[in-house]
Amino acid sequence: MIQLFHVSKVYPPRSKALTDVSLQISPGEFVFLAGPSGAGKTTLLKLLFRQEKPSEGQILINGQDLSRLKGRDVARLRQKMGLVFQEFKLLPGLSALNNVALAAQVVGMRKRESQTKAYQLLRELGLKGKYDAKPLTLSGGEQQRVAIARALINEPFLVLADEPTGNLDDQAASETMGLFLKIRERGTTLIVASHNIDLIKRYGTRIISLRQGCLADDLERVRAEARAP
Amino acid sequence: MKWSQLGFIGRRVRNSVRELFWTHLLTSVTMALTLFVFGAFMLLQENLEALLKGWGDQLQINAYVGKDLSGADIESLQERIRMYPEVARVRHISQEQAWKDFQAALGAQANVLEGLPRDVLPASFEISLRPNFRDGPLVEALAARLKKERGITSVEYAQDWVDRISLVVLAVQWAKWIFGGALFLTTYFIVNSTVKLAMLARKEEIEIMELVGASRELIEAPFVLEGMIQGTMGGALSVGGLWLVFEIMRNQVPLSLGVFGFTNPLQFLGFQSVALIMAVGCVLGAAGSLFALRRFLRSWQG
Repeated sequence: MIQLFHVSKVYPPRSKALTDVSLQISPGEFVFLAGPSGAGKTTLLKLLFRQEKPSEGQILINGQDLSRLKGRDVARLRQKMGLVFQEFKLLPGLSALNNVALAAQVVGMRKRESQTKAYQLLRELGLKGKYDAKPLTLSGGEQQRVAIARALINEPFLVLADEPTGNLDDQAASETMGLFLKIRERGTTLIVASHNIDLIKRYGTRIISLRQGCLADDLERVRAEARAP
Repeated sequence: MKWSQLGFIGRRVRNSVRELFWTHLLTSVTMALTLFVFGAFMLLQENLEALLKGWGDQLQINAYVGKDLSGADIESLQERIRMYPEVARVRHISQEQAWKDFQAALGAQANVLEGLPRDVLPASFEISLRPNFRDGPLVEALAARLKKERGITSVEYAQDWVDRISLVVLAVQWAKWIFGGALFLTTYFIVNSTVKLAMLARKEEIEIMELVGASRELIEAPFVLEGMIQGTMGGALSVGGLWLVFEIMRNQVPLSLGVFGFTNPLQFLGFQSVALIMAVGCVLGAAGSLFALRRFLRSWQG
């Protein structure tokens, strides 16, 4: 369970990125964070993986107050999360297999075991035969699949994706979204930030819209309210 | 940190050494230059201490006795001096023996003594001191007490030289830490900068490690280990360089030092000193890396 209570974020000196955002996301939900550039989507994700701390308000993940986490606890939190970025964030010197295995080795998995697991994941994600390829020799879609495999290797309860299709063509974007749907079937909570309206309309089950740092709309909530007598 | 992560750290260190070989080498050589200067001071200090010890071992007091003392007086005086707690050994040198010793010392030039009476030299006691009583003030106090003994006319000892060399050793010891300290500080900043360069080259890797949940220790450990390796390598290079210079100079220096009674062969650094240089290098490398990394992470994370 992810809970935000009156969360605001101000970057020095006085740049408001988020203002009084409160929301709740249940386990297994597939949520889109929608909104134009500068709406606060990335800031919200950064707050969730604790790259940033809120200036005001409280964020709880499974009852744990993120503001109170110390360095080691932050690392532990991230070990249970999967992160996917628009620019993939893969290490160019490592093969696809080792990029994926790295995330498992960081949490203490042995090299061989992590590589076996990475191998299985890459195969599942349609990258058979690309294990030894360096990221720069792969297409954008393939690189994003490697990044998704890396996000999944530690079996996270939550996957956060920031504009994961931003650098992909339509077909690769659809494939990536297909993978996210598969991930959801595992019971993993998914939060995807995107400004691609078509994609959101096609795949969104719950759409949280942000505008100028404020919560503008929560479609799931609107539907629920509409259903109420 | 888990045991299974040690292999991970080892692989990262290995990859870094391969990828940034020249940066690592540059850091090691920089550290080697500093440690070389530090080691040179240690070498000088150790050899001066050896010289001092050699002199200390030879240090003796010559107490000259009057001509009017009988054999029994001399024996009783020798016995009294032997009872002094500072005294290790007392040897009586008769006038005859003093003459013979002087003749032997002059060697081929002994003929200059021709025509002189054989009792021109006074009889004396050669007094050797126990190791704990060879310090300046103690020797001075003993000499003063000896002068008060009936029958002793004068007392001589080479304490001045020992005191001067002691001062030189002390100065070298201070210079070692003062110069060494200044150089260490310089090296620390150089190491810091080279580590920063290495970190900039690996910024992406550090960022990704953080994002996938690597603990601070896991991120820092390879950098610190690399620093330790660089420092130890620097230490080894400096010891190697010192040894080379020492070997070249060894054959020349004793000739000039012989004048000052430096009869002991020059010694290279002992095991403890070599270990100290390596350890200083290791700590310097580790500290340089750790502080640079922490500052880098702080500035990067805001």
